Amino acid sequence: MMEIGVDVKPTHDLNVDIRDAFFDEVYRIAASDRNVIVLTDDQGAFSLERFKNDLQGQYFNMGIAEQNIISVAAGLALGGKIPFVYGISTFMTMRCFEQIRDDLSCMNLPVTIVGSGPGYSYGSDGPTHHATQDVAILRTLPHLTILNPADAVASTACVQMGYKAVGPTYIRIERGVLPVLYDDHHSFSAGFAQIRMGRDLLIISTGIMVHKALEVSDRLSEIGIGAGVLDLYRLKPVYEPSLLSSLQGVERIVTLEENSIVGGLGSLVAEILADHKRMIALKRIALPDRHCYEYGNRDWQHSYEGLDVAGIVRVIEGWK
Amino acid sequence: MDIETLKRTARWVRHEVFEMIISAGKGHMGGSFSCVEILLALYHGGILRVDPRNLRLEERDRFILSKGHSAEALYAVLADFGFFPISELATYGKGGSRLGGHVDNKIPGIEVSTGSLGHGLGLGVGLALSAKMDRRDYMTVVLLGDGECYEGSVWEAALFAAHQELSNLVAIIDRNQQITLNYTEECIRLDPLDEKWRAFGWDVAVVNGHAFEELFRALENIRSRRSPRPLVIIASTVKGKGVSFMEGQLQWHHNIPKGKKLEIARKELLVGE
Repeated sequence: MMEIGVDVKPTHDLNVDIRDAFFDEVYRIAASDRNVIVLTDDQGAFSLERFKNDLQGQYFNMGIAEQNIISVAAGLALGGKIPFVYGISTFMTMRCFEQIRDDLSCMNLPVTIVGSGPGYSYGSDGPTHHATQDVAILRTLPHLTILNPADAVASTACVQMGYKAVGPTYIRIERGVLPVLYDDHHSFSAGFAQIRMGRDLLIISTGIMVHKALEVSDRLSEIGIGAGVLDLYRLKPVYEPSLLSSLQGVERIVTLEENSIVGGLGSLVAEILADHKRMIALKRIALPDRHCYEYGNRDWQHSYEGLDVAGIVRVIEGWK
Repeated sequence: MDIETLKRTARWVRHEVFEMIISAGKGHMGGSFSCVEILLALYHGGILRVDPRNLRLEERDRFILSKGHSAEALYAVLADFGFFPISELATYGKGGSRLGGHVDNKIPGIEVSTGSLGHGLGLGVGLALSAKMDRRDYMTVVLLGDGECYEGSVWEAALFAAHQELSNLVAIIDRNQQITLNYTEECIRLDPLDEKWRAFGWDVAVVNGHAFEELFRALENIRSRRSPRPLVIIASTVKGKGVSFMEGQLQWHHNIPKGKKLEIARKELLVGE
């Protein structure tokens, strides 16, 4: 594989909760720009407490009313405000999909939707809480930027991207302490980063699954398979020419995501390859097209659906 | 503009709406006809502070046509008010026209794109909230349909607006008693609609939506109200107003008269004008 793309090595473990890093950054910009407004559908976060205390006029718990939150956020944006809307991913994208389309996408308004609990974050809460189709449906909307950061540095950068965007942004935000992949000076303008090179295949992943891709790559290297890892943290828009040039010399691609197999990361990679006649073998590893009514935590759900490291390695090993 | 001139302009607007829709072969005549006086009171009656020569004026009032399918009526009013040439009305619904069946904010004078019901009040609440935060004195006025009040999102917005004490927000409901297929009170009762809004914490006025005097009485003090509550004006109207066989009849939500009916309608509107 040619050495194209940014090769970023893990630097240091910040030991920061990715969601706290995110809202600390929102707080920082809100403290210096009173036009930044946080709206939530009754979803808390430790680092949001400071908003309630210090920036009262910039924080609204709008109750469990997602349609209204998006329309009001759009109205606030029309009035010159820069709203960040925060809630559980499924509710914040599906209950109010039409408001996102008509009020934010059609009018191209700078509202940032922050969805907590991507994928199986709320594993044992069942399918109503599984954000496994949000990327697929939101990807259809013009003007919308979709971001899926994998570490605290990227999530902080996403706040800035939402803050400076001229149109709407959707950010899927993880929770917990995740290994840091990027150094503080990394520019996230490309939309993706190749964080590991590999001679045999390339795993394209996003969000929390990037960490799993790195583990899978470690395991594959033990059995003599060199797997690179590319973090596609911006799922829309994808700047196709630069992504395609980073695929020079790649003969096999695995997409790895915690979304439904329908319409997510694997689909978008397949579309790009097909549109540009790039005949690279592609294996999409994602969640099956069904609702999971077996309950467990996120790790259990991953094992159950074959998204655990061993399961993924098995699929790649068996992929002829 | 005096009341007689307003009445004359209302007749002109209805005729324009009629010819636009006939020419395009598509549109919403009934609901456009029911809100003509409301729109004229707002614009020509001097209630809204807007200036066609300065579209981005910071302190301009924000009007939202939440019942976006009454686009044709608003187009005629805006054109007559000077936002774009009256001649452009003839392009309505035709290839490449910027005037479509629902309003969008690329059209001069239109603040907010609408079309799907139940969005406009929330959008207006956001605008009113931002004005309140910044202590700006513009008003936000939202025109809803009564059938639109079936949308749950309307009541989400109503709850929030009252809690935030958005006295700079006015909702007007075009209470023409009809939806596409039925009368509201036969489909799902809305009455007592005034009590519902009152229960949600709004000030309520009920007026005849075709009587300019009554509309002005309800609208002229919207800037100087002492109440902390948002205001809703329930304007009783007649769907299809202005054409005898359309008034209050069910088939004219988006049907278009043909043949003899077309001629009768045109004649009535022209005589009126």
